[in-house]
Amino acid sequence: MTKSLNLTGISAHYGRTQVLKDLDLDVKAGELVSLLGASGCGKTTTLRLIAGFLHATAGKVALDGRDISSVAAHRRDIGLVFQNYALFPHMSVADNVGFGLKQRGIAPQERRARVGEMLDKVDLAEFADRLPAALSGGQKQRVALARALVIKPSLLLFDEPLSNLDAKLRVDMRVEIRELQRAHNITAIYVTHDQEEAFSISDRVAIMDAGQISQYDTPEMLYRKPANAFVANFVGFETMIGLRVTGRSGGVAMAEGQGARFALDEATWGPLPDAFTLGARADGLRVMAAGGDDGLPATLSVRTYLGRSYHYRAETPVGSVVANGSIDRPFNEGDRANLVLVPEQCCILPETA
Amino acid sequence: MQRSSPILAITAIAVFIFLLGPLVIVAAASISNTEFLAFPPQGFSFRWFVNVFEVSAFRDTFLISLQIALLGTFLSLLIGIPAAYALSRFGFTLPKVLSNFFVLPILVPQIVFGFSLLSAISVDFDLPVFPTLLIGHTIIVLPYSIRVVGASLATFDFSAEEAAISLGCPPIKAFYTVVLPNIRGGILAAFILAFITSLNNVPVSLFLTGPGISTLPIQMLTYVENFFDPTVAALSVLLMALTVLVMAVVEKTLGLGYFVR
Amino acid sequence: MNRVLPWLLVTPAILAILVLLVLPLLDTISVTFIQEEGVFAGYQDFFDRRFNRGVLWRTVRIALIVTVIAIAIGFPTAYFIARAPRSWRSILIVASVFPLLTSTVVRSFAWIVILGRNGIINETLMGLGLIGEPLSMLYTEGAIIVGLAYLFSPLMILSLVGVLENIDKSVVEASISLGASPAKTFWRVILPLAMPGVIVGAVLVFTGSFTSYTTPVLLGGQRNTVLATLLFREAMTEFDWASASTIAVIMMVLTISVVLIMSRVARRLNPAAA
Repeated sequence: MTKSLNLTGISAHYGRTQVLKDLDLDVKAGELVSLLGASGCGKTTTLRLIAGFLHATAGKVALDGRDISSVAAHRRDIGLVFQNYALFPHMSVADNVGFGLKQRGIAPQERRARVGEMLDKVDLAEFADRLPAALSGGQKQRVALARALVIKPSLLLFDEPLSNLDAKLRVDMRVEIRELQRAHNITAIYVTHDQEEAFSISDRVAIMDAGQISQYDTPEMLYRKPANAFVANFVGFETMIGLRVTGRSGGVAMAEGQGARFALDEATWGPLPDAFTLGARADGLRVMAAGGDDGLPATLSVRTYLGRSYHYRAETPVGSVVANGSIDRPFNEGDRANLVLVPEQCCILPETA
Repeated sequence: MQRSSPILAITAIAVFIFLLGPLVIVAAASISNTEFLAFPPQGFSFRWFVNVFEVSAFRDTFLISLQIALLGTFLSLLIGIPAAYALSRFGFTLPKVLSNFFVLPILVPQIVFGFSLLSAISVDFDLPVFPTLLIGHTIIVLPYSIRVVGASLATFDFSAEEAAISLGCPPIKAFYTVVLPNIRGGILAAFILAFITSLNNVPVSLFLTGPGISTLPIQMLTYVENFFDPTVAALSVLLMALTVLVMAVVEKTLGLGYFVR
Repeated sequence: MNRVLPWLLVTPAILAILVLLVLPLLDTISVTFIQEEGVFAGYQDFFDRRFNRGVLWRTVRIALIVTVIAIAIGFPTAYFIARAPRSWRSILIVASVFPLLTSTVVRSFAWIVILGRNGIINETLMGLGLIGEPLSMLYTEGAIIVGLAYLFSPLMILSLVGVLENIDKSVVEASISLGASPAKTFWRVILPLAMPGVIVGAVLVFTGSFTSYTTPVLLGGQRNTVLATLLFREAMTEFDWASASTIAVIMMVLTISVVLIMSRVARRLNPAAA
C-alpha cells in the first residue's frame, strides 16, 4: 500500500531557462520529506512534476519502482494539498471531500460514509453542508487535507500548505498534518520555504538551491553538520572564517586566518583538514575581554539585551558579526574584545571560503 | 513544459480566422480593379478609394457623423463625470437603484429608443434633425461615460482628495488638481469607447436622419443596398484604419488590458 | 457632510435620461394602449396576424440559434485565450475586440462579399466544378444567422475570458489530481464556475441579435423579415405609428424580461459569489 518514490536524473526547463538540473531524490515508503529552499529554487517545480502537471525534459519519476513519467496527472493517484487550498467554490464541504471518491466510482452510500468519517477526523463534521466561502483559513486547509486523504492516495504532496495561515494556527496544523500522515502511513512530499516548519515535520529534508539538491539529510544532521557553505548559511551559521592549520601539538591544532587564531582540540572538533572554513552561529561566538592568546579580535558596537544573555554587534577582520556575551559581565559599546568559539554552535566546512 | 490540447488550439485558430477573415476579404476586395465586388481581387487599383472621396454623400455624412460623435461624447462626459464621481464618492448617500437607472440606455433596444425619439421629440416638438440625432447619441453613450469613468474612480483613494482639502485647497480645485489627473486614463477610455460607439451607430440614427442630413453608417447602408461596386469596401478599409489608430492610442496610453474590463 | 452636493452632481444625468429616454418611451407605450377599439386592441391586432407571429418566432429563433453558436465557438476560444501566455493573451484579446470596434455595416457587408451570387464561396465551388449554378445563400435566414454569429461572438468571448481567467488554476489541478479526467474537470468544475460569464455573454448576444437591424436588412433581404425590420417598415413605409409602437413595446418588454430573468438565474447559479 505505502509506496516509495524515486526521482532520477530529472531536468526541467521553462522555455530556455533550466529550472531543475539532473536532480535525484529517493523517498522511502512512509517517509515525510520536505523540499526546502527560497523561491525560485525549483522546489515547487519538482512537486508539480511529481503530480504530473509539468513534464521533465529528462529523467524519470518512479512510484515503487514503476515509471510514472508518462502517466496522465488524473491517473497518478496522488493527493495534492495546495497553498491556496484550491477548494471547489461551487461545492459544499462534503462534495469537495467526496469529489475524488466520485471519480473513482465509489457508490454514493460508501462515499457518504467515508466522507463523514474523514470530516470527523478533521473536526469539520458540522460544516459538511457549508460552502468553502463560509469557512476560515484553517478550516479550509483541513477540508483540503481531508479531500486529499480520503482517496487514500499512494503519495501525498503538500505545496506550502500553511503559508496563508497565522503563526499559531501554523504550528497546530503542522502537528495535525504529521499525525494524519503517520496514521494513514502515506509517503509524503512537503514543499516549504520555512526552515522551522520543514525541520519540525520531516523525517528528512532536501535543501534546494538553483535547481539542485544541496544536501539531503535528517533535520538533526542538517542543523549540526551542513555539507557546504550554502546549507550552513541556510541553517544559521552566519559568520564564516577561512582558516589554515599552522601547527599541531598534543591533539590540538592551531588554526589561523583572516586575523583570527584558534586552538582547536581535535577530540572535540574531530579531525581537521589543513584548510577549511569555520561557520559560527551568533551563539557560537562568545565575547571575552581583549588580550587573550587566541580568538577573533573585535570592537563592540551595538549591545542588545536578550534576557538570558547579551547580543553584541562586533566589528572584526571578517566583517560585522553578531556574538553572544554573558549576562554577569556586560561590556560597553566601543570596548575592544576577543571572540572565542563555542564548539556546539560551530561547524567545519572542508572547503575554503 | 506544460502540454495543452491541440484540439483547443485548432478550434481557437479556426474561430480567429472566422472573426478576422471577412475583414481581410473586404480589404482585399477594395483594391480590385473591377466594377463589381471580387475576391480574390482582379487587377489592382486605388480608384475605389478615390471614389470614396468623390461621392459627396460620403464626405458630407462623415462630417456629420464626426460632429455628432464628438459633440455627443463631450456632452455625455460633461454630465457623466459628475454622476460617476458622486456615485463612487457619495454612493452610500444615494439610492442603490441609481446605478441601475444609469444603464437604462443600454438596456432599452436602441432601435426602440430611436423610434421613440422620432415619434416623441422630432414629430411632437418638431425638432430639427441635427439636435435630435445629437440627443439620441448623447443618451446612448452616457452609460459608457458613467461606467468607464466610474471604474477608474473605484480604484482612486479619495483620502488623497481629503488630504488636499486639509492642506488648504478649495474642494473644486482639489477635484481638478488631485482627482482629475488620476482618472485621466478612464476619461480617455470612456471618450474613445463612446466616440466609436456613436460613430458606428445605426439603429438610433436610422429613424432620425432626414432630408439632407444623414450619418455615415446610414449612408453606407443605403449605398450597399443599391450598388455593388467596391466603394464601400474601400470605405470600410478607411474606417478600419481609423479603428486601428484608435486602438493604438489606447495601447500607448492605457495598455491593452483596458479592453478586457 | 453636505447632503445636497451628491444629488446636485447626479441630477443632470438623471434629468437627461428621464426627459430624453424615459418620457419618449412612455409616450410610445401610451400610444399602444390608447386605441379606439380598446386598450389591448393594438396587441390583439398584432398577434392576430399570422405574418406577425411568424416574424416574432423567426426573430426569437434566430436569436436563440445565434446564442447557441456564440457559446459553442466562444467558449473554447475564450478558454484558449485565458490559458495562453501573457504576451499572446493581449494580442488575442485585441483580435477579439477589433471586430467589435468596426462598424456593423462593414461587418455585415463582408458577408455579402462571401455569400453573394458572385461571392467567394460560389466562385470557389464553381471553379472546382462542384456546382454548376451559384447557390443562393445570401438573403436567407441562414445568412442572417451567420452574420449575427459573426457580429456577436466577440462579445461572448470577452465575457468569458474574464471569468475563465479568474478561475483559480489550482482548482482545476485539484480536480485532476483527485482523478477527474480533463473532460470531467471541464463539466464538473470549469463550466459551473464559468456559468455567470456564459449567462452575461448569452444575454448580450441574445438581446443584440433579437433587436438587430443592419444584419437582417443586408443579409436577409425582403422575405426574411424580423421584428426590427418590421418596426422600420411599419413606421417609415406604412406610416402606421400605432402598429410600429406596438412592435417597439413588444421588443422592449421581451428584451428587458430576458435581462432581468437571466440576471436572477445567474445570481442563483453562483452561490460562491456571495
